[in-house]
Amino acid sequence: MRWLKFFFRKSAIEKELNSEIRFHLDSVTQEKIDAGLPPEEARRLTMLEFGGAEQVKEECRYAHRLAFVETTLANLKAAVRFMRKSPGFSIAIILTLALGIGANSAVFSAIDAILLRPLPYPNAGELVVLHQYNRASKDSSRPIAPVRLEEWNKYNSAFQAIAGSYTQDLSETSGTVPERLAEADVTPRFLQVLGVAPELGRDFTPAEERFGGPSAVLISDRFWRRRFHADANVLGKRIRIESSSVPIVGVLPASFQFPDKDIDLWWPVPMDAPIAQNRAYTWFTGIGRMKPGITLAQARADLDTVQARLGRQFPQTDKDLAARIQSLKETIVAGSRRSLWILFGSVTLLLLIACTNIAALLLSRITERAHEISIRYSLGAGRGSIIGQFLTEALVLALAGSVVGLAVAAAGVRVFHSLAKALPRVEEITLDWRLALYTLCCAILATALCGLVPALIASRRSISSTLASHGRTQVSARASLQWTLVGVQVALAVTLLVGAGLLLRSFQELGRVSPGFDPNHVLTLRISGNYGETNDQKKMFQRMKNTVGALATVPGVESAAISATVPGAGSGFPIEIKAAGSAVSPSRKITADEKVVYGAYFETMRIPLLAGNTCKKDTLWTTAVVNRSFAETYFPNQTAIGHHLQITSFDAKPEIVGVVGDARENGLNHPAVPTFYWCSSNADPSPYFLLRVRGDPMKLANALRREIHRIEPSRSVFEMMPLSERLSESNAENRFRTLLLALFALTAISLAAIGLYGTLSYLVARRNREIGLRMALGALPSQIRARFLAQGAGVALLGCVAGLVIAAALSRLLAGMLYEVSRLDPLTYIAVATGVLVLAAAAAALPAGRAAHLDPMQILRHE
Amino acid sequence: MKPNDLVQGTLSLLILRILSLEPMHGWALSQRLKQMSKDVLQVGPGSLYPALHKLEQEGWVTAEWLTSETKRRVKFYSLTKEGRRQLNAQTADWKRLSGAISAIVIPARG
Amino acid sequence: MPLEKSELLQGTLDMLILKIVALGPVHGYGISHRIRQISKDVLQVQQGSLYPALHRLERRGWLEATWGQSENGREAKFYKLSAKGRRQLATEESNWQRLAGAITLIMQTAE
Repeated sequence: MRWLKFFFRKSAIEKELNSEIRFHLDSVTQEKIDAGLPPEEARRLTMLEFGGAEQVKEECRYAHRLAFVETTLANLKAAVRFMRKSPGFSIAIILTLALGIGANSAVFSAIDAILLRPLPYPNAGELVVLHQYNRASKDSSRPIAPVRLEEWNKYNSAFQAIAGSYTQDLSETSGTVPERLAEADVTPRFLQVLGVAPELGRDFTPAEERFGGPSAVLISDRFWRRRFHADANVLGKRIRIESSSVPIVGVLPASFQFPDKDIDLWWPVPMDAPIAQNRAYTWFTGIGRMKPGITLAQARADLDTVQARLGRQFPQTDKDLAARIQSLKETIVAGSRRSLWILFGSVTLLLLIACTNIAALLLSRITERAHEISIRYSLGAGRGSIIGQFLTEALVLALAGSVVGLAVAAAGVRVFHSLAKALPRVEEITLDWRLALYTLCCAILATALCGLVPALIASRRSISSTLASHGRTQVSARASLQWTLVGVQVALAVTLLVGAGLLLRSFQELGRVSPGFDPNHVLTLRISGNYGETNDQKKMFQRMKNTVGALATVPGVESAAISATVPGAGSGFPIEIKAAGSAVSPSRKITADEKVVYGAYFETMRIPLLAGNTCKKDTLWTTAVVNRSFAETYFPNQTAIGHHLQITSFDAKPEIVGVVGDARENGLNHPAVPTFYWCSSNADPSPYFLLRVRGDPMKLANALRREIHRIEPSRSVFEMMPLSERLSESNAENRFRTLLLALFALTAISLAAIGLYGTLSYLVARRNREIGLRMALGALPSQIRARFLAQGAGVALLGCVAGLVIAAALSRLLAGMLYEVSRLDPLTYIAVATGVLVLAAAAAALPAGRAAHLDPMQILRHE
Repeated sequence: MKPNDLVQGTLSLLILRILSLEPMHGWALSQRLKQMSKDVLQVGPGSLYPALHKLEQEGWVTAEWLTSETKRRVKFYSLTKEGRRQLNAQTADWKRLSGAISAIVIPARG
Repeated sequence: MPLEKSELLQGTLDMLILKIVALGPVHGYGISHRIRQISKDVLQVQQGSLYPALHRLERRGWLEATWGQSENGREAKFYKLSAKGRRQLATEESNWQRLAGAITLIMQTAE
């Protein structure tokens, strides 16, 4: 490949050319001088005879330059000609590549946007999320008390600033119907920590952040466009939150989505308000910006010191408290990390399968082109140029495939956008130059994979000349490579199939599990409320009691209840409990999942009452109900009823009044744990209302809205949907993932089957003569058929075994997602193996049958 | 050497030589060339007719429209006097050059 | 001295170059000199076509070039025949014989 040398030695070539021509001219001049001419005359004549020396040099340079361009152009033209000759073949390859490359690019763009790129805040690596937790009682992380957050901010040395936020839903009442808005209540320094400035207007002033100062809100870009139609004069306009009128002082940019993407407005919390001084309150999720260069470990150590000092200063409340810090990005993306990488692995596997298929198809064309190749050799072409030609053909196919693949990738990105509920940061997934670059790399990789092996084999001089002169010969050497490719495809397909099979079995098992409650015919809804109301517990209790009572009277409603979490989709909230009295040995620590319910919860959810009574309707925080696991674990030899529990982190001693059956409150795939139900309505100003209805839950939607408007005209109703729909939504990501994997697996096995069919067909065609001879010598058709079948089935078997082994090794990755199914579940593995072998047999049967039906007379006559 | 180059280069010589045997039209000329060289020399219409036109322009060949046996009008070429002189000169050239080349390429024995 | 004009049959330059080089490593000037010498001045290579041809043959891998000392002590670029070039020369020679033979046949046939 001389053109390579040309690139690297351009200046050297130039120098050499000059000196070569100079040598010639000097020699001719010398010749003339020797013949008697004076030197200048000799020189002049020489130059005249030679003609334009520069032109000659240009032609020489051209000769070298032309080589590269000429070769590439010729290769490209030949590649296009080759493609047009067999359009079906080429289109099939291009489409296959488009699918493989496009899907790969789409998933890569998701991984890039979600996992790899930093969050869209300046120096996002410095941002961390803060919580407090109780070391002694090993409670889960809780929001931070306002006064403590201010102390952390003041006394630390590792942070630029610490702020905090919490969210609640409110009604905006300046319109005809109250509109629910999502509000974020923020501490001072909030925008400073995140490093974002309003796109219109300004941040809050210190006066607005003080207790008793003027009120102000910042609104989101979305709310601004929706309500005010992007009016540039929105600053100073007022909105009506609950019963107070507040002016808008700024609009935040559309890209700002903290603490989450649905927030409509930001309200400053006065940290000097009397009520904010209570150290036991848990209000704020902290957000802090570490100083540049500070690591997470250093920040943790620093806050530990600060909190330890606070613990000494305020032993009663702070002694056992500690700070919990996590990087902001981690909290957002950690949950999807595994799914995304598994998805990426699957699409890459698929691309590999497609490439091996294409390589096999290209290989099967070699015999047809042997003549062409041998001619090129006889014309003096080097092996390198022939390899170059084949690679160019593969490159042209790959480039065409990746151009179409970009369209597939665009569709894929749109699919991701529609999954906004299941994945974080999906709005950041875009088609940009990084994606195009990645697609190009995929194309090059595909070229190498698809084209290299056929190119190397086809360009073997010995093979091409043999084939060209004999036309049809035994091609067993190449066939073994093709069979290897088929075997690899089968192995990869089996791996994907086993993965999909395990996930499907998991779903099947989940479907058989009894949730312990009945989610059907239950309607859920929420009514707006804000945290300010929790100051007056009595008033809040009254409101809840009235609301539940009123809802229960709507015709069609059988029973009504309140719950802080959604049954079947809750997140576990383990807390530590002590049992008062000597009933349970003091050294036994009780850990239970905490739930807060009110009203006819157990009746509504059809959770059976096993002993005692359900919640009393008229008391708050004084009674509790436990489930069977709790009773059996902690009160094995006696009744739990009547005992008082001491909740370590809360100042209450509820009495156990009943025992109910186990329910999978945290999801079907989480078996029931000891659970303890507070009887209270006041955990959340906007809890979930659960209504058991007759018939279709949504039929009562309007009636319920009217009733709620009657008793609470200033509040809005939202998130009204059947419980079953809510539960299936929470499963959506799981289902999508399983579906996708199944789709891949099916595509993979189809590709493998086609590869098997193609290779065997080609083999049968090439060995026509041999088959004819055999039959003429007495072999039975069934024997011929059996021979070919065995060959195909044998390869499939080997591939299958290899695939099962790889699957067993990789199933580790799925371990966390499988429910009640072992990752080495024999049923799945056997089913996949059987299915694949049957399919392989079918794919092999057709060409084998064709072989058996050959007419020996016909074949031999053509010799 | 590409096989066609040599034939291209000596095409005018070959045409003059064949026309010196008898006048004929283009197609017959290419057939005669093929036959006389035992199929070694083959010239397509893409090269033949441009060459014939050039010879016509130089005045070494003239053309005439005749009606052939099959009642079709065909262009017949024949050699002019000047053409005959050219033929002799180019034949001498050919002998000289090809002889010299052969001497180099096929060294004389002994 | 008269201006050099091309005195060569079209398409034979490559073959002649290869043949001369086959006799032993030689530089460009040496090739044109040798051709004139052996053919007793009958064949004359136009220098403007010689060097592009040499570079073309080198690009195609039929000639290999090295720098060495010429007879007068100066540095010059010497060409030698590669294995591929040897094969190519054989092909060209057989082609030449076939074609030249056919042309001669036509020139000599009476009818």
